[in-house]
Amino acid sequence: MQHLDPDRLVLLALSEEQQDTGESDHLAQCAGCRHDLSALREVADLGAEGGDLRDLPNPPEHVWQAIEESISASAARTAETAPVIDLAHRRDRRDRPARQRRPRWLAPVLSAAAAAVVAVAGTLAITGLLDRPPTETETVTAQATLAPLPTVPASASGSVEVLSDGFMRIDVRNLPLTTGFHEVWLLDPDNPTRMVSIGNLPNRSTVELPVPTGTDMNRYSLVDISDEPHDGDSTHSGSSLLRGTLTS
Amino acid sequence: MSSDDELAERLRNGDEKALRTAYDRHGAAVLYLAQRLLGNRADAEDVTQLTFVAAWTGRDTFDPGRGTVLGWLLGIARRKAVDRLRSAQRDVRTTETVRAQLTPADEPESPERVVDRLVVADELGRLPDEQRRTLELAFFDDLTHPQIAAVTGLPLGTVKSHIRRGMANLRRRWEVDGAAFGSRQAGPTRAL
Repeated sequence: MQHLDPDRLVLLALSEEQQDTGESDHLAQCAGCRHDLSALREVADLGAEGGDLRDLPNPPEHVWQAIEESISASAARTAETAPVIDLAHRRDRRDRPARQRRPRWLAPVLSAAAAAVVAVAGTLAITGLLDRPPTETETVTAQATLAPLPTVPASASGSVEVLSDGFMRIDVRNLPLTTGFHEVWLLDPDNPTRMVSIGNLPNRSTVELPVPTGTDMNRYSLVDISDEPHDGDSTHSGSSLLRGTLTS
Repeated sequence: MSSDDELAERLRNGDEKALRTAYDRHGAAVLYLAQRLLGNRADAEDVTQLTFVAAWTGRDTFDPGRGTVLGWLLGIARRKAVDRLRSAQRDVRTTETVRAQLTPADEPESPERVVDRLVVADELGRLPDEQRRTLELAFFDDLTHPQIAAVTGLPLGTVKSHIRRGMANLRRRWEVDGAAFGSRQAGPTRAL
């Protein structure tokens, strides 16, 4: 059985020539040639209908701007689950001057929670003065267990206690060695690009650092320890080591 | 201009500039598809936006072995547009807008058909110059092989082989990226 020649199939597909009876007989029997002819016909039709697709107008620039904004927003939303990539990604965008790059230090608005902390602290200070030596007046108002991120050795760990006197006690163990330094942040878990820098960790396991007055601990409830290179850039490096959520 | 493979690689590596390149290269086709399916410009632009955002967040699911970047983007856009059509139809039903039934629209082209046209047109644009030129004369000017030979000055045998190879290239691309063949449609990008 003689199959149809490829050139012939193309001519038939383009309807440039008509099939003769021998070809019709063959096509009736040969599924392969029938399939080839029908595929080529379809392609020829699709090609012929594509005349108006050659110079399609580009979408307007505001569509791209909306895409960029959505991507930034979703990067921020997913930063908690994929913090290393997303925060690093934001840092990569430093060349855009219009974007806010520095962590925003919150306006010192006392939230209800912070007010409560102050109230409790006040009460405790008084009761402490009455009942206890001054060194024991501090009370833990919130705490967090810090767990290593996936890229960090599992032996790394830490804990944080927020004290009623406005300090955070940070205790870390087995942090990976760094050529830079370790910095402590409080992140807004709903928008992890919003963060408050608490300070850097000296070379010992336990340290107490002051929380900026007025920080809304309900909002900035995610403790983050990062590895910061000595690059003079005060923003988060994107390299998070430990994280944990504060609970009271 | 980087190749499709290189673009795919950069996308998968999270290079945001690669998304812009994909947008510059294929945004017009995505917008065209959306506009054909939805019939209005504002919705089409929304779907274009949704498509590229979904492509970015789902870039890990793009498998270059299963098709081109354009095929993948059009697959996403088609689903986004169809979703929007369905929800619009639900709205119509719930508000019982009967008037729409009194003025039946022309039978719209199927989403698959629009995708296939875009894919074939894209491949046509990528063919070597002489292959592309001869096919354009056959498709758009409806010229026969001998007429094409006369117009281009190419020998008839050369015209034949250009057209045969060009058609084979279009067919291959259509079978990889076309909406009718789509292992892709059942794949992980379905969730986008």
